[in-house]
Amino acid sequence: MSSEVVQLQRRLDGVFVEAALLGGMVPNDFVLVGNEWSAERSVVMQELLQSTLPRQQWPQSLHWDWRRKAPELRLLEAAGFGIVCERQWQGVMLTKSASYVAKLAPDKGKPLVYVDFLEVAPWNWAIPEVGGSGRFRSVGSSLLWRAVEQSEEEGFRGRVGLHSLPQSEVFYERVFGMTPLNRDSAKQNLLYMELSADQAAKLLEKGK
Amino acid sequence: MAAKRTMTLNLTDAEMGALEELSEKKELSKTAILRQALRLYQMVDARIERGDKFFFEDETKAKAEVMVL
Repeated sequence: MSSEVVQLQRRLDGVFVEAALLGGMVPNDFVLVGNEWSAERSVVMQELLQSTLPRQQWPQSLHWDWRRKAPELRLLEAAGFGIVCERQWQGVMLTKSASYVAKLAPDKGKPLVYVDFLEVAPWNWAIPEVGGSGRFRSVGSSLLWRAVEQSEEEGFRGRVGLHSLPQSEVFYERVFGMTPLNRDSAKQNLLYMELSADQAAKLLEKGK
Repeated sequence: MAAKRTMTLNLTDAEMGALEELSEKKELSKTAILRQALRLYQMVDARIERGDKFFFEDETKAKAEVMVL
């Protein structure tokens, strides 16, 4: 398993703390993540059910279960990345590197890293309506940065594609400069977004 | 990065030509093209093994099932 140091910001006091971004996760790691997060998901769900927050505003990954995604990691094209801090998984990402190609000109048809799933731990969700302020900031962006780096390493020149949950569309567009392309009826009508090689180069030049 | 092992690959002129063409078209090294091919083949094979079907769809939405050996 590969490991690199990333900085996460603790929301409580704004202090940056070191975390380990791990690559090369194996199926059992996803099982461990699923186990670790399931109790917290249930707690959040109970709090949401008792709140007046409309369902459309609930975290859209609330029902995800990383244990069910574990077998995917047996495929050569799949890669799992996770961030560990304070001995807990703070965020996890599953990428694919062969089954999707770029749709954006001029690189249409060229390979890219597709972010299949990316989620931060339930205790990092900021849901003020149920008293949740989120423990760490920048978990998701550190993971997406890793996808851009993976794309560079693969020779894909930083190209990254993903289908975004509606709650994350603005984040991917504003923070990472990804281009929204189309709603995909094959993927629950989620918005397909892409980072081109040029956009990736600008992003990497600007730095984290 | 995972440790890598080296192998010798014998290709016909036509196969090498196709590999070079893809390498240029996709802007990838020949090794990366073969790595991508293996990833795709394994993914398709795994999905067919679990009962999925593999189709190509043309512009008229007509589907043709692909037989994979």
